[in-house]
Amino acid sequence: MAAELKFAKTHEWIRPEAGGLATVGISAYAVEALTDLVFMQLPNVGRKVKAGESIGEIESVKAVSDFYTPVSGEVVEVNTSLPNELETLGKDPFGAGWLVRIRPDDPAEMDGLLDATAYEALVKSQPH
Amino acid sequence: MNGLLAWRDEAASGAVNMAADELLAAEAVRHDRPLVRIYGWQEPTVSLGGFQRLGDAQAFPGIAGLPIVRRPSGGGAIIHGSDVTYAVAVPRSHAWGGDPQVLYDAFHEALVEVLRKQGITASLHPGRGRDAGDEDRFLCFDRRARGDLVVRTADSADDHKILGSAQRRLQAAVLQHGSLLEQSSRAVTEDARHPGLHDLLASAGWGSTANDLVDPWLLRVAAAAGLRLEWTGESFLATHRPEITAAAPRFLSQAWLGRR
Repeated sequence: MAAELKFAKTHEWIRPEAGGLATVGISAYAVEALTDLVFMQLPNVGRKVKAGESIGEIESVKAVSDFYTPVSGEVVEVNTSLPNELETLGKDPFGAGWLVRIRPDDPAEMDGLLDATAYEALVKSQPH
Repeated sequence: MNGLLAWRDEAASGAVNMAADELLAAEAVRHDRPLVRIYGWQEPTVSLGGFQRLGDAQAFPGIAGLPIVRRPSGGGAIIHGSDVTYAVAVPRSHAWGGDPQVLYDAFHEALVEVLRKQGITASLHPGRGRDAGDEDRFLCFDRRARGDLVVRTADSADDHKILGSAQRRLQAAVLQHGSLLEQSSRAVTEDARHPGLHDLLASAGWGSTANDLVDPWLLRVAAAAGLRLEWTGESFLATHRPEITAAAPRFLSQAWLGRR
């Protein structure tokens, strides 16, 4: 996992980008746990979101899961090709499998998220 | 030791049942323990999986005229009314809250054991891969996923699915729905029917009902996890009526029902 990534306890990652934006995705651990993805619903561009709010849903075989924004802000871009190419999530969860780009209200909010080391410890502590 | 707390509810409408199950998930987090609700339906009702297309239901002639409700959980459509439905809600921090298959197997394996003790050949389906196109099949009982409970009778070469379950994985809880088929529904046409326990086993002398199985089933579920089963002796619907009544209209709204 790249050092610039931060993680939410709900398994989303976020990466600061140029221009005050941040890219959000789902961790490889979470994607692997979902298995056999069949449908995804992403938020609309322009939506104002609050940290911890559900911004979309994904269905794997028989299970619907929410995903959450790690920071508050505005959704400025959505990976519109992803719902039609869900296998990308499994192949490249930290790259081409990104979900949304957000303009954070307060970039410092990312400081409160987990770094890669802390996230790996969280994953190891999860019930199996 | 925190046990598995259980309610057996009276039959209710689809919207009330879905509102109750949503509340069950919140209550599981509040109580920090698994909760289960066993219930029925006041009339034959189709429940759609969370992302199934409403248009697919409306275009399926076999279920025409039945009320439709959308579940928060995934999976295929179920025709309720001649089944026993369960909802179990588990905090994400619980041992059942991690790997999705663990909670499916906890409930399905327990019923396999209960049925085997009654001389019925039951097993968990291994799944048949994406090439089988299961997600394109509208009805849950036409699909086969890993862990679905199937029975085989002496006079049939086919396995028959009698229990299917699906989940909604929330931030703090997992809500799992399941349907145990008692009888083939008479409210739908032949192409939407699936044989239930009674249809498959009565001719072989099996005299129980799906309802009779509930208590030994949940006892087995709890025991396998080292939990104690605690029946509340109350109705979840009655004891939470104000919250459920307030939440039910959302499940009747076009925004929810027609979300896809």
